Amino acid sequence: MFDQWRNKNKSTTVNSDMLSKQRRYNSLVRALHADIYRYAFWLCGDKHVAEDITQETFLRAWKSLDSLKDDKAAKAWLITILRRENARRFERKQFDYSDVEQEQLVDVFSSSNEEHTEQYLLRRQIGKLDAEYREPLLLQIIGGFSGEEIAELLDLNRNTVMTRLFRARNQLKDVLDTTEVRGQANG
Amino acid sequence: MDELKFRRHAYGEPQSQDPEFLAAINEDSSREEFVNDLKFLDAKLEQALKVDVPDDLSDKLILRQQLTHHHSQRKKTGFMVAMAASVAFVAGISFSLLRLAPVDLGDHALAHVYHEDEAMTADQNVSFKDVNVQLASLKGLENSRFTQQPGEVFYTTYCDFQGVKSIHLVMEGQQGKVTLFVVPAEKRFMLEESFADENYKGMGFEANDAYMLAVAEQEEDLEYVKKEIINTFI
Repeated sequence: MFDQWRNKNKSTTVNSDMLSKQRRYNSLVRALHADIYRYAFWLCGDKHVAEDITQETFLRAWKSLDSLKDDKAAKAWLITILRRENARRFERKQFDYSDVEQEQLVDVFSSSNEEHTEQYLLRRQIGKLDAEYREPLLLQIIGGFSGEEIAELLDLNRNTVMTRLFRARNQLKDVLDTTEVRGQANG
Repeated sequence: MDELKFRRHAYGEPQSQDPEFLAAINEDSSREEFVNDLKFLDAKLEQALKVDVPDDLSDKLILRQQLTHHHSQRKKTGFMVAMAASVAFVAGISFSLLRLAPVDLGDHALAHVYHEDEAMTADQNVSFKDVNVQLASLKGLENSRFTQQPGEVFYTTYCDFQGVKSIHLVMEGQQGKVTLFVVPAEKRFMLEESFADENYKGMGFEANDAYMLAVAEQEEDLEYVKKEIINTFI
């Protein structure tokens, strides 16, 4: 009888463990799915692929949720998983998405609205950035990570990261400035 | 902070709160404008990077996880059941193989003698009728019995030969005590005519449907008991 009582007790703790894990996962999804999806989108340039990668990332996160000790590190942790999933995609499928992505981006953002023209242009330019410049920028702006954190995530040294961020902004600013100049000239 | 370093820093991290950088901004109003320009760019970039997230994405993520979790739990219990089944299977097989394995009666008889040392010192003066009652309960020996007292019996008990219920008797020999085992005959038993170790000598013989194993210190005692048994056991 004592055994039975103990078993019952154990199974309830297992259940409550399970429940708190589920709650933790749910809040993780709610808090971070948008950032993760956007990061995936800018990494691969395709809505559907981005959704797939996000799915895989969160599924993997669920499986190893116990290894996430500090909830503050959750974003960096998820991005590490996501980058691995993205790399895995290239191992699995032999075709290269980066050839597709510029075309894809053009289709995704229609410049129907005048006000959105600049954003459309910017998006196109971000899509055209080399992946090695784009990724640190994504981490800084979407992720809100510092130079050191980006360096750690990308396995680069901090100076390289800062140089890449410099070049990324430089290229984007150039494009924006020239279009503004051209726009003014046209007007 | 020189101009080049400042510009690199500004382009790399316009939102930086590094005190050196903030001080550098304050040095010159054109620098402030320059940084504000970049901050403005960042704001635009932030808006540009905010692509629409599918409305139901978070629900989908939770649904997928729950389906997978459910599935894996079912798989896990399936695995446990398979494990338990195979353990039971192996246990069953080995147990039945163990029962089928040939048994050397001589070794067992000697081991029993050593094990039940109280038997050699007991003096219960058992009647052959009591022994017959015990015999009747042995499977395969229901109809066997002693027709008369086979000399003095000091001790009697049931014992176990590899799962076969047998009788352990201690009898009077010519010179010393003799231990006698009455074991229902079974194919897997190997009956040796004689066996021995450094202390005891043993003898095995068949009487009706039973295997008899006599163990004593002296060879004469064995012969004596054998004769007694053959005469009285049917």
